[in-house]
Amino acid sequence: MNTEITKKLLKIVVLTIVISYGLDKLMFYGLNKISDNVMTGQAIGKLNQFLTVKDSTDFLVFGNSRANHHIDVDLFSKNSYNIGVDGVGIAYNSTLINTLKANTKQFIIVHIDTKNFFDTHYDGSDIRGLKTKYNRNEVITSALNKSNKLSDLQQIYYSMNYNGNVIGILKNYFKPSYNFKTYNGYDPLNVSLSQEKMRDAILAKANIEEECSKVTELNSVAMDYLKSIKSYIEKTPNKSFLFITSPMYNDRCLEDNQRLTDVMNDFELNYIDYTNLFKGKADHSLWKDPTHLSKKGAETFSLELLKHYKSFHN
Amino acid sequence: MLFNSIEYLIFLPVVFIVYWLLKDRYKQQNILLLISSYVFYGWWDYRFLSLIIFSSFLDYFVGQKIEEALSKKKKKRWLLVSLCSNLGLLAVFKYYNFFADSFSSAMSSVGWQVNDLTLNIILPVGISFYTFQTLSYSIDIYRNEIKASRDIVGFFTFVSLFPQLVAGPIERASNLMPQIESNRKLNVTLIKTGVFQIFIGLFRKVAIADNLGVYVDSVYGNYDIHNSSTLLIATVFYAFQIYFDFSGYSDIAIGSAKLFGFNFNRNFNFPYFSRTLTEFWRRWHMSLSFWLRDYLYISLGGNRKGIVITYRNLLLTMLIGGLWHGSSWNFVIWGGIHGLFLSIEKYTFSALKIKTFNAFGYIYTFIVVLVAWVFFRATDFHTAATIIKEIFSFNYGTLFVGNINTFINGLLLLTIGFAIDLKIFRSKTPLEDYGIKFSTVKLSILISIIILMLCLFYSTAENFIYFQF
Repeated sequence: MNTEITKKLLKIVVLTIVISYGLDKLMFYGLNKISDNVMTGQAIGKLNQFLTVKDSTDFLVFGNSRANHHIDVDLFSKNSYNIGVDGVGIAYNSTLINTLKANTKQFIIVHIDTKNFFDTHYDGSDIRGLKTKYNRNEVITSALNKSNKLSDLQQIYYSMNYNGNVIGILKNYFKPSYNFKTYNGYDPLNVSLSQEKMRDAILAKANIEEECSKVTELNSVAMDYLKSIKSYIEKTPNKSFLFITSPMYNDRCLEDNQRLTDVMNDFELNYIDYTNLFKGKADHSLWKDPTHLSKKGAETFSLELLKHYKSFHN
Repeated sequence: MLFNSIEYLIFLPVVFIVYWLLKDRYKQQNILLLISSYVFYGWWDYRFLSLIIFSSFLDYFVGQKIEEALSKKKKKRWLLVSLCSNLGLLAVFKYYNFFADSFSSAMSSVGWQVNDLTLNIILPVGISFYTFQTLSYSIDIYRNEIKASRDIVGFFTFVSLFPQLVAGPIERASNLMPQIESNRKLNVTLIKTGVFQIFIGLFRKVAIADNLGVYVDSVYGNYDIHNSSTLLIATVFYAFQIYFDFSGYSDIAIGSAKLFGFNFNRNFNFPYFSRTLTEFWRRWHMSLSFWLRDYLYISLGGNRKGIVITYRNLLLTMLIGGLWHGSSWNFVIWGGIHGLFLSIEKYTFSALKIKTFNAFGYIYTFIVVLVAWVFFRATDFHTAATIIKEIFSFNYGTLFVGNINTFINGLLLLTIGFAIDLKIFRSKTPLEDYGIKFSTVKLSILISIIILMLCLFYSTAENFIYFQF
C-alpha cells in the first residue's frame, strides 16, 4: 500500500467519520424536536404523555399490552393514566415507576406476568423501549446505563436511540392517531367479525393439553427490578401499590402462579392473581386471543378489579 | 464471528492494517490470513476447526497425488478418496440424522418398527461451502484444469479465507489460488468498490432483510391462522428477505476480500430481474449454480446424451442442489420445483425456437420462485402444503399487519432496496464495480447516509439465513 493509497483511504475514513457524526447529530436533534411534540402512538407518544401527566394523576397503571388492553382506568378515577405498553416487561415498568415524584399521593397498579419471572431468557432488554429518552431524562438514563442494554455505538451515534421509531414519529407528528387530550391510555380490543374466526382458531390451539414445564428458578433480572420497585415503595408512603396478573385463557400451569404469589407474599407486596378469573367460561367473546381480553372481557375484568380496589382503598 | 457484529468491526481493520504492513511479503500475509481466518471461524466454535484442517490436509495431499498419478485409473482412485472423504464428512455431519429419520419413517410405514437411529450432531457452520470448494479443487486437478498446490499455507488459506469461509461465495481454485500464490496490490478502485459494497451489504442485511424477517417469522410461526393475503405478503417478504440477507452477506464477503487485494467472483446479479428460471439461476447464488453445472450436471453427461438424459440430469442436479441447502425433504422439493420448471423451459424454448420469454416472463419467473420459497421457508411439508393451499384458495381477507411500525419499516426499506437494485441494474455497471463511480467525497457522503440509515432502521437477527447450510 503506497502513500497515495494510504492518503486516499484515510481521507475516506476521516470524511466518513466526520460526515456521519454530523448527520447523526443533525438527525438526532431534529428527531428530538419533532418527537417532543408527538403525543400519540404507542412507541413515543404514549411515553411522552405519561411523562407529562405522571405526577398530576392520582391513579396509574403500569404493565405490558395486557395492562394496556385490560384495565379501564376511567372506572377508578377520572384523573388516571394507563401506561401499559406492548411488549414491555418489569425492567421498563420499574424504570418508569422510579421517575414518579415521591411525595405525590397516588394509587398505582402494577400488572406483572408470571411468565416474566420464570422465563430463563428474560434479560431486561425491554428497557430499550425507553431509549428515546436516553441522555434526556436522568432516571431513565441512569437505569439504561445500569442495564448495559444499549450498544456502545449508541454513545457515538445518538440517532440509534430512535431506531425503528422514525416512521411512527413522523406519522404521529403530521397525523396524530387520536386526540391525546381525551386519551387515558386504555385501549380496549374490539374483535371484528373477520377476526372472530381467527380468534376461535387460536383459542382452539390454546386448548390443547400441554405439559406444565417445571418451575425451577426465578429469573434474577426480573427479581432485581421487582426489588427496585419494592425499595421505591418503602421510600414513598404516600403511594399505594397493588400488583396484579390479569386473566389468561385456559392457563393449565398453576405451579408458577403459586410460586409467584409466594414470592410477592415474602416481599410483603399486595398481589392478586386473576389468571384463572374466567376459567371454565366457554364464552369466547371475552377474548381476543389467549393472552388478551376483548373489550367485553376487559370491562368485566375491570369491574372485578374495581371491587378489590375499593376494598384496598377504604 | 458475524459480519454484522462489533467484533468484525474491530477485527477487519486490525487484520487489514497488519496485513498491509507486510506489503510485498505475500507468504507472511498468507500466514496472517490463515491465523485470522481460524480466529474468525473459531469465534463461533473452535472445535470444528479440526474439520477444516482435516479437509485442507486431505485435499492438499490428494491433489498432489492426483497430479502425480501416471495413469487415468490411479488419478480416478485418488479423486475417489477426496470425493468419499469430503462427502463422507458432509454425510455424517449434515445428512446422517436426515437419512436415519427417513429410514425409520419408511420402515414404520411398512409396519416395521426401528429404534431411534438419530444422533445428537451439531452442524458445523460453513461445512457445505468449504466442502464444495475443496472438492472443486481436486476435480479441477483431475481434469487437468489447474496444477496442484505445493504451498501448504497458501492452500490452507484458500480453504479457510475468512470472507468466504462460512457462506461463500464458493471460490474456485482456478480463480483464487493464483491470487493467493502471488503478491496482492491494493489500489483506489479496490478500496472504493470494496468499501461501497461492504456498506451496501450491511444495509441489505441489517436494515432490509432483518426488518422483513420480523413479519415473516410472525406469520410463518402461526401460518394456520392467517388468510391468503397475509400468507402471500409474508412469502413475498420472505423472497426479498432471503435475497437481501444472502446477497448482503456476499457483498460484505466480496467487499472485505477486495480490501485484502482479492477479487472474488460475483455471487448475485439481481436475480428477480429475470425473465426465465434459467436466467434466474444465472443470477442467483451464481457460485453454487455454476458449481452444480460444472461439477454435477456436466459430470452426469449434461445435454450430450440425448433429450431424456438431459432432462434427467437437470432434475437430478436441482434435486441434489436442493438437498445441499439442508437435510430436509422440503429442500429436495424446492430443488425439484426448480428442476421441473427448468426442464419445461428447456422444452418450450426448443419447441418454440425462442431464447427467452417476453416481459410477462418476469412475473412467471417470480411466481415459480415464490411458490418454491414456501417449501424453503416452511418447517415441514405439511406446513408448506397448507400455506400453498391457503394462498391459492384466494381467501383474500384483511391483511394481518402485526406491529405496524415493523411492517411499515419493512415495506419502506424493501422499496428503498428495490429502487437501489433497479438503479444499479439499469446502469449496466455491476454492483461490484459501482463504487468507482463516486469521488472520495461523494463516496464518504453515501457511506455516511448508509450509516445513518443503519442507525435508524437496523434490526437484530441471530444469524445469516445461509449459515444453516
